[in-house]
Formats: sequence, C-alpha cells, structure tokens
Amino acid sequence: MTPEIRITAEPVDGRRCRFVVSTPLFEGGARRFGSPGEAQGSPLAEALFAVPGVTEVLVAGPSLTVTKDGPEPWKVTGKLVGAAVRAAVAAGGPLVAPAAPASAADDEALYGRVADLFEAEINPAIARHGGFVELLDVQDGVVMLRMGGGCQGCGMADVTLRQGIEAALRQRVPEVAGIVDATDHASGTNPYVTASKK
Amino acid sequence: MGAPARLLLLLPTTTYRAAAFVEAARRLDVELTVGTDHRSVFAGDQPERLLTLDFARRDRAVAQARAFAAAHPVAAVVGVDDETAILAAAIAAALDLPHNPVAAALAARDKHLQRTAMARAGVPVPAFRRHRLGEPAAAAAAAAPYPCVLKPLCLSASRGVIRADTPEAFVAARAVLAEILAETHADDYLVEAFVPGPEAALEGLLEDGRLQPLALFDKPDPLDGPYFEETIYVTPSRLPPGVQRELIACAGHAASALGLVTGPVHVELRHNSRGPWLIELGARPIGGRCSAALRFGPGPGALSLEELLLRRALGLPVPSVEREVAASGVMMIPVPGAGVLRAVRGVEAARAVPGIEDVAITAHPGQRLVPPPRGAQYPGFLFARGESPAEVETALRRAHALLRFELATNGE
Repeated sequence: MTPEIRITAEPVDGRRCRFVVSTPLFEGGARRFGSPGEAQGSPLAEALFAVPGVTEVLVAGPSLTVTKDGPEPWKVTGKLVGAAVRAAVAAGGPLVAPAAPASAADDEALYGRVADLFEAEINPAIARHGGFVELLDVQDGVVMLRMGGGCQGCGMADVTLRQGIEAALRQRVPEVAGIVDATDHASGTNPYVTASKK
Repeated sequence: MGAPARLLLLLPTTTYRAAAFVEAARRLDVELTVGTDHRSVFAGDQPERLLTLDFARRDRAVAQARAFAAAHPVAAVVGVDDETAILAAAIAAALDLPHNPVAAALAARDKHLQRTAMARAGVPVPAFRRHRLGEPAAAAAAAAPYPCVLKPLCLSASRGVIRADTPEAFVAARAVLAEILAETHADDYLVEAFVPGPEAALEGLLEDGRLQPLALFDKPDPLDGPYFEETIYVTPSRLPPGVQRELIACAGHAASALGLVTGPVHVELRHNSRGPWLIELGARPIGGRCSAALRFGPGPGALSLEELLLRRALGLPVPSVEREVAASGVMMIPVPGAGVLRAVRGVEAARAVPGIEDVAITAHPGQRLVPPPRGAQYPGFLFARGESPAEVETALRRAHALLRFELATNGE
C-alpha cells in the first residue's frame, strides 16, 4: 500500500506558494523550471505545468515553490498542485531529471560567483541586522535563495531582497537572469523589524 | 526613448505595506527608490535605490530628498501611511510634483485639526473637544457628553480609543490613555460624542479634488466599545444604495474640507437616523494587509490597489478603477489575549474553509501580543472571496473559529 502523502501549502503571496511534501521530491539540490519546455523529462514538473496558470516551479528536497499568473486563488490552484504531486509520486520513478549538462556547466560557474558575492558582501551586510541569505542553487541563470535569521519574516525583507540583494547581483553578476526567493517568511521567529503600524 | 521614470516610495520600516508596494512597482517600467526612516544595510551600496530620510524632521527629510532628486530626477513621491503621506506632500511640493497641500495632509493626520476643519465646512462630525492631560481629570469628565469616546490625536489602528459612559468610566479611560500617550510624548487627546450606528469604510482616490470611490466596505461587527478593535471588512456594501450614496458624498465633502486634492483616502463613516457621520479620514490607502481584498478590473490583468495607486501617481494608464465582480473581505484577526505567541494551530483547517483564499499569520512565535486599547499589531489576516458579501462574512467567521493561538502568559 502506498503511504499517504501529506502536503502543506504556505502561500507566500498571490503569485507564489510553497508546498512542503512528506516525501522527498528531488535530492539533487534544487531545480527550477521556467517553462513547460524546460519541464520535459521531469514528470513532476510536467504535471505541475499542466495546472492552469503555473509559470514557474522550484523543487528542492521535499519542498516546491510554485509561481502562477492568474486570478485563481491558491485554494483552487493548490488543490490541483496537490493532485499533480500525488499522481507523479504514485507513478514511481525519478520525479525530477538532473539539470542539462551544458546549462549546468554555465550555472556552476555562475553559482561560484554568486556564492562569492554572498560570502564577501551580502551576508556580512545583512548580518548587521541578524540576517543571512542562503544560496540554494543557480539554474538557467536564475538564482534561488532563502533568507534566514533577522531577514526571515522581517517587514522590510522585500526591500532588502529587491533593492539590495537583487540590485547587487545584477550589477556584479550581470549574467544573472532572475531571482527566486524560496523563503518561508511565516516561520521566521526573530525578524529584525515586525510590522506594527496600520 | 528616455530612461524609465523614477518613483520615490516612502516606507516606514514598521509598515505592513512594503511587499505589496515593492511588488507593484516591479510590475511597472519604473526605477524604484525606497525612502526609509532607518538606514538599510545596502544604502551605501545602492544609493539610487535606497534613500535614508529623517522622517522625524520633515525639513531635513525634504532637503535630503531634494539633494537626491537633483542627481536622480523623481517623477512621483508616494507615501503609504498617515506619516509618510505628510512627508510625501512636502517632498513633492519641493520637487514641483503633483501633491496634496502639506497643511491638508497634516490635518488628515491630526484628529483635532481634522474635526475642526470638517465642522467648519459643515461636514457632520461628532461633537468634540480637545483636552490636555495636565488638566484635572474630573473637570474633563464633567464637561464630556455621554456616551463619549476618548482618542489620541495621532495614533492609528484604534490604539488608545476608549468609550466612556459615565464620569467614573471617563476617569479610568483617561488613566489608560495617559499611559499610552506617555510612550508617544503626547499631551493632548480628543473627547467626542459616541455616534451610534453601523460603521463603513470607504476606499477612494482623489483626482483634482474629485473623489473616485473605489470600494465601500461594511464592518459587520458592531463597534460600540469600550474598545474599537477592527475585525471584518466586506465589500460590496449591503447598506441601502441611498445610504451608500450619502456616505460617499460625505467622504467627498470631508476630503474637500481638509483641502486634499490628490491620491488615496481611507474614510471611516457611520450612518444612523440622522444621516452619515464622518468618523475619520486618512490621506492614505487602507492599512495592514487589507488591500489584498481589493482587485480592479477583470481577469488576469486585474490591478492590485497598490499598482492602481502607483500608476495614477506616475501618470500611467489605469485600465479600470472598477472593483472586481466578486464579493471580497478581510478579517484583521483580533488579538486573542495578552502574552507571548507560542504557536498558531488550525491554519490549514482555516485555509480549507470554502471561500477562504488566504490565512496570513503575521505575528511570529515569540512575539508579545498586546490587546486593545494598548496594542497596535494584528496577529494576522484572513481573506475571502465569494458570490455574496454574506458568503464572504460567513467564510471569515468560520475560518477564524478554527484558529487556536497558544500564548505564554506571565509566569509560564
């Protein structure tokens, strides 16, 4: 008998939702899919792109961050995502293919440069507010990261991410095509700033 | 083709609004500069994108913004709350950009100035009187109309707002208010007649002094005191159309009385057998995370309230200011008690309630929760959409009933 798969949905905002699945989905680090074409050969990603409105999928260990464009609430899209995950897992076999070698080589070089920037500049800066940023992976030029410490759940996290980290990345590593933030801000226990004003 | 226009967005570091406004700006072809009251760790590295402004000293902040704009021309200045609305007006005036008169923005911020200007213009407001904490409490209590409401002049989120039905209750309420005001170094407070009747909130946009209503929310939970913690907002309103028209007209009259001419307004009103009453008007959009209850225009291209406001401020096209067809609502989750938050249970069950679109818990484990009248932080927000306002309200109440807040109180 197939064990029950539990899925927890944690909407990040209207466009993004993080799903945590009770079984590993991809143990080769993290993998991002930015289009149905990129999903070819990865049954889980193929199934997720069949869900109306899905535009991007990030898989890392037991978690999925799904981005959608469209008016359907996560309540509706989330159920379809859950069904797609369960069907893909039930079918057996690898859910996510490793990144293509050619792209992987470029991404590996990019990963190193981004990691150096994080270590030398970004993390020392945000450490002053008790925060840190973790580089999850780089795929097809897209940087996947997670914020922690004082940044996780901070009321100004988006300002730090977009006006600080992303801007620095685009200046120092212009090959970066985009950033995906996989932070679960709702679980932050020590944010640097807590929203309070109406 | 020229460079994209630059938007100066004024964000207090404690705002709930940062993510929604930053995301809205990213959707536009615009250079974004965030002006904040505390220096970002990246301000030195990204001086075009992060500007530190002295929010507490307006003249200094204006000079800082003017120096910045000399090197990086700014096309629009947008504030997100009462305080930054004043600063935005002052900076925009200095940069010769469209703006509200600073005096109007100041009047919208100060409840006594606001009441005075409105009463002078014939806007229906409760009878009011300003008092100083230095005066004997008994004298102020003797002069008050009962039932009455004691209010700070400049705090938000109903903080420090207390109803008193007797002189004894007045004195007790004033003592609590004095403790709250001591934290803000304020000496004055307002006493006004309590106005019975259902309360509504109007979200609107001013253009050349004309009010464009965007959404009228009902507040189905009675706000009769002794404290005035906001909970459910549902739109469209179920009030009779004639009453809605009176409320909107009253809000427009109030905005004119203050001299506001441009940008968002958030207006709290009541209605009873004597007609509409203006309770408060802010020269700002709806607060907290509540704007997520609003979408404008049909389908996938619908605009958020923030995108609509930024487009208007920048002079960009706005496809529609018509709210979506669906009914929608938000619940500002009431503070469940005083204590340190340990955990919130039932979030998944609440999300599963038909009609609920999101459950956003904004308080974090370890955060101290403070109930009204002293507190100003909601533990979170519930959002719902449905075919009717009644359906939305039911969904919000059902979801809220499923949430369990675990608090550590003193000694635990």
